[in-house]
Amino acid sequence: MQAGVLDRAAAHLRLPSLLALLAFSAVYAIAVISAPEDAVQGVIQKILYVHPACAFAAYLGFGLTALGGALYLWREDEQYDRLALASAEVGVVFCTLVILTGPIWARGTWGRWWSWDPRLTVTLLLWFVYLAYLLLRSFTEGSTRAARFAAVYGITGVLAIPLNYFAIDLFGGRAIHPENLGRGSLGAGMGLPFALGMATLLLAFLHLLARRLELESLRARDGFPEPQARSGPARAEGSWPT
Amino acid sequence: MNVLLAVLWKDLVSEWRTGDRIVSMLLFSVLVVIVFHFALPADASQLLQTGAAGLLWIAYVFASVLGLNRAFALELENEALSGLALAPADRGWIFLGKAAANTLLLFLVQAVTALAFALAFDVRLGAVALRFAVLMALGALGLSSVGTLFAAVAVRTRYREVMLPLLLLPVMIPILLGAVRASSALLERGALPSPELRLLVVVDVAFLIVSFVLFEYVLDE
Amino acid sequence: MTNAAIAARGLEKRFGPVAALRGIDLDVPAATTLAVLGPNGAGKSTLLRLVAGLARPTAGSLRVGNPGDDRRRTRGRVGYLAHASFLYPALTARENLIFAARLYGVLDPRRRAAELLEAQGLAAVADRPAGGFSRGMAQRLAIARGLVHDPSIVLLDEPYTGLDRAAAHALTERLRELRAAGRTLVLVTHELSRACELADRAVVLARGRIVHAAEGPALGLAALEQAYLASVESAA
Repeated sequence: MQAGVLDRAAAHLRLPSLLALLAFSAVYAIAVISAPEDAVQGVIQKILYVHPACAFAAYLGFGLTALGGALYLWREDEQYDRLALASAEVGVVFCTLVILTGPIWARGTWGRWWSWDPRLTVTLLLWFVYLAYLLLRSFTEGSTRAARFAAVYGITGVLAIPLNYFAIDLFGGRAIHPENLGRGSLGAGMGLPFALGMATLLLAFLHLLARRLELESLRARDGFPEPQARSGPARAEGSWPT
Repeated sequence: MNVLLAVLWKDLVSEWRTGDRIVSMLLFSVLVVIVFHFALPADASQLLQTGAAGLLWIAYVFASVLGLNRAFALELENEALSGLALAPADRGWIFLGKAAANTLLLFLVQAVTALAFALAFDVRLGAVALRFAVLMALGALGLSSVGTLFAAVAVRTRYREVMLPLLLLPVMIPILLGAVRASSALLERGALPSPELRLLVVVDVAFLIVSFVLFEYVLDE
Repeated sequence: MTNAAIAARGLEKRFGPVAALRGIDLDVPAATTLAVLGPNGAGKSTLLRLVAGLARPTAGSLRVGNPGDDRRRTRGRVGYLAHASFLYPALTARENLIFAARLYGVLDPRRRAAELLEAQGLAAVADRPAGGFSRGMAQRLAIARGLVHDPSIVLLDEPYTGLDRAAAHALTERLRELRAAGRTLVLVTHELSRACELADRAVVLARGRIVHAAEGPALGLAALEQAYLASVESAA
C-alpha cells in the first residue's frame, strides 16, 4: 500500500491540530459562557453557538465523502476511499448532533420538538443517507467492491441533498428556522462566540477526520503482510478464501 | 443504442414469459389498496380526497422497490450480470435498457393500481387520466433510474432485498414530493401545476445522467 | 513480448487484506494454448477473470490483446467460458444467442445464432427455453454464447467439469478447431492429461504465484505430474 499525500498529511498534522483544537475549545467555552443571555429565548439560545456549526460540518462531511468517492473512481487510488470513509464516519456524528440540538432548541423556543422545518428535515434525510452509506459499506463483501459501491452511492447522495432541499423548501414543511443568514442579524455580543463556534467545530471535524484517516491508513498498511524473501520457490503468506 | 434495445427486449421477453415481476408487483399494489381500506377510518372520504395522491404514491414506491429487487435477482441466476459486464458495450446503454424496462413495467402497475384505487375509493380519475398518466410516467422514470442503479448495487450486498429501500428512500424524496403534490393539485383542480412538474423533470434528468455515468462502475467486480 | 496476446508483469489482485494473486509475470504468445494448473484456491479463476476484464488488478500491469486497447476493446476480443453459463433461463437457446450477439455488436445476430446452434448440435432445441436444458446442453449453449463474437482470445475455466465422455470429446475437438484457427487459448483445468493434450505451454499456480512453467518436452504427462506435485507441495 502506498501512503498517499492525504495519509501523510494526516500523520504530520497530528500534534498541531490537537493543540489548535484545545486552544480554540478553551477560548470558545469561555466565549459561550460569557455571552449574554437572549432576552426572549433564555439560555437555550446558546445552542446557536453549536447547532449551525455542526450542520456546516455535517454537510461538509458528506461533500468530502462524495468527493473522495469520485476521486477514487477516477484515480483508483485507495487513499481517496479512505478519505470518503473517514469523512462519512465523522460527518455522521456531527449530523447526529444537529438532529439532537435542533429539536432541543425548537422545544425551548417554540414549544414543539419536531415540526418538519425544511432545513432540519433535509438534514434528517442527510442523516439517513449517511447511515445508508455506512450500512452499504459494512454489508458489501470485498473492500474494493465496497469502496466502489460506496462511491457510487455517495455521489448520488450528494446530488440528492440539494434536490431534497429545493423540493422541501418549495413544497413541504413549515419553516421555523430563523431566516437570519445575513450578517449583522446576531445580537450584540453574539458574534464572537458564534464565529468561535464555527471555527472550533470545524477544527474538531478536521482533527477527527485526520485521526480517522490515519487509523484507516494504518489498517490498510498492516493488513497486507509482505511475503518473506526465501530461496527457491517463493513462499506466500496470508490466507485465502478457498 | 442497439444494446439498449437488446437489453430492453430481453427484459420484456423474459417478463412476458415468466410474469415474474409483474404479477408480484400487481398483487402487492392491489393488496396495499385493500390494506388502506382497513387502515383508514370508516368515513374516510374527506381524508381520501386530500390524501389520495399520497396513498397512491406510497403504493407505487413500494411496488417499484419490489420490482427492482426482482429485476436484478434474475440477473444473478447463472451470473448473467457478469455476462453483461463482459460485453464490450458501453455500460450506460445497458443501464438505460434495464431502466427503460423497469419504467415500463412500473407504469403498467401504476395504471392498474390507480384503477383499483379509483374503484375502491370512488376517486374521480377519469377526467384527468391522461395528465395523471404523464405524472405516473415521470415518477416511474425517476424511481427507475436511481432505482436501477441502486438495485444493481444492493443485490450484491449481504442483505440484498433489504438494502435497496434503505438506499433508495432518502434519495427519492424529491420525486415523491413533486409527484404527490402535482397529483393532489391535479385531482383538486384538474390542472398540472408547473413548479412541481419542473421539479420532476429536473430530478429525472439529473438522476438519469448520474445513473448512466455511474453504472459503468457498478458492474466491475 | 510485443506479439504476445496476453502479457502480465507483477500482476497482483487483492480482495481486502487477502491476496489472491501476487507477482504474476506471464506471456502468452498469440495463437498458442496455455494450460493453467494448480490446486483449489490457487488463484486460477481470479487470473482468468482479470484477463477477461471482469476485475481490475490491484497492482502490476496486464495487457490483453493489442497494445493501446482500452478495457472495452479488450472485452470485445475475449471470450470467457466460466462455471456459470451467463444464460437466461426464460429465453430460448436461439434468443440467448441473439441477445449475446447483439451485446457484442455482431452483425446479423440471427444468422450467427443459427450457425452456432448448428455447430453445437442444438438446432433441434433452438426454440426451447434454456432453463429446461440438461447440463450437457446448457454447457454446449454456454460455449456457443462464449464464442458468439468469434473472439481471438478464448478463456476457459474448467470446462470439462461435469461433462460425459462424448461431450468432453466434442469439446476437445472444438478446442482443437479453435487452435487450428489461430486463436489464443487459456485453459484452466485440473486434469493434467488435458493440459498435455491441448497445450503448448503450462503454468502451475499455487497460493497466488506461478511455481512452475513447462513447455515442449517437459509437457509430457509423467514429467508434468512430477513437477506439479513437487512444486505444489513446496509451496504449501
